Amino acid sequence: MNNSFDKKFLEKTNDWLKTNQKIVLATVIQTWGSSPQPVGSKMIINENGDFSGSVSGGCVESAVIRECLEILKKNIPFKKIEFKISNENAWEVGLACGGEITIYIEQVK
Amino acid sequence: MELKIFQEIIKNKNKKIEFSVITNLETGNSKIFLVGETIDEYFFEHEKKIQFFCRNKKNGIIENTNIFIQTFINPVKVIIVGAVHIAQYIIEFTKYLNFEIILIDPRKFFATEERFPKIKVVNKWPEEAFKEIITDSNTALISLTHNPKIDDPALIHALKKNFYYIGALGSQNTHSDRCERLKFFGFNENEINSIHGPIGIKLGGKSPPEIALSIIAQLTLETYNK
Repeated sequence: MNNSFDKKFLEKTNDWLKTNQKIVLATVIQTWGSSPQPVGSKMIINENGDFSGSVSGGCVESAVIRECLEILKKNIPFKKIEFKISNENAWEVGLACGGEITIYIEQVK
Repeated sequence: MELKIFQEIIKNKNKKIEFSVITNLETGNSKIFLVGETIDEYFFEHEKKIQFFCRNKKNGIIENTNIFIQTFINPVKVIIVGAVHIAQYIIEFTKYLNFEIILIDPRKFFATEERFPKIKVVNKWPEEAFKEIITDSNTALISLTHNPKIDDPALIHALKKNFYYIGALGSQNTHSDRCERLKFFGFNENEINSIHGPIGIKLGGKSPPEIALSIIAQLTLETYNK
């Protein structure tokens, strides 16, 4: 059933590819404890900060988008971001589920 | 990730090919791996582990490495018999779920492209239709005509092929008559009891979209139970 490239995700991706937008792919690569989205879950972000898909239940998306825009700006090809309960950033963005997740973000180009 | 790899992922998804994407988290290098193919020299030392993840349809990082594997699996095949009103809602609701719907109905005025756009419609009797559809224990059947002439052959095929989910629309009475007929065809009690009839989980609704929702809920539940 796991389908990280679902219909909505594919439609958005196709639109952005057609218009040659800069895109960043974010993938959940590790989880500990309770996390709302399984390993392999994906989100795609364009240069304007528009996004489709998800990597959590809305807990860390804003921080992930910020990081994605940052790697586009600095032209860093990829980066690993960890969200832990002890991590200040996670509190700020509200990882209320008590889990930990690692997200891998990469430019598609 | 290189754009061409990303485009290949999309292409494979659209062509319903099962594959894995292997990423070296240290270098950012990604490769697409199709089951049965030889593994690129770059990832060769992890071949056994990669094969293990692919066979078990797992996602994750190979222990003590920087290699991340994601497997992309095909949707579950769901056969709907009966191009009726409820079928239209089932198709609408499953649009975003990982199911591949094939619709069978010999009645041409029901199974029109106008009523069912973008869906594979087989305009034949079930016995004929199943000759051109590959089915196995990973297939599900939703039988909606409550007409024995159309439903029974489909149910018989599904029972013989050991479908993981078989549901048949119809009242308690319709279903008990159906069970009697299947007994006559030589199916045992266990086989007959494996049919979900009346179909769907009890949500309380009676309208076509509500019945469709109750069927989809049951199908999803059974998909995770299989």
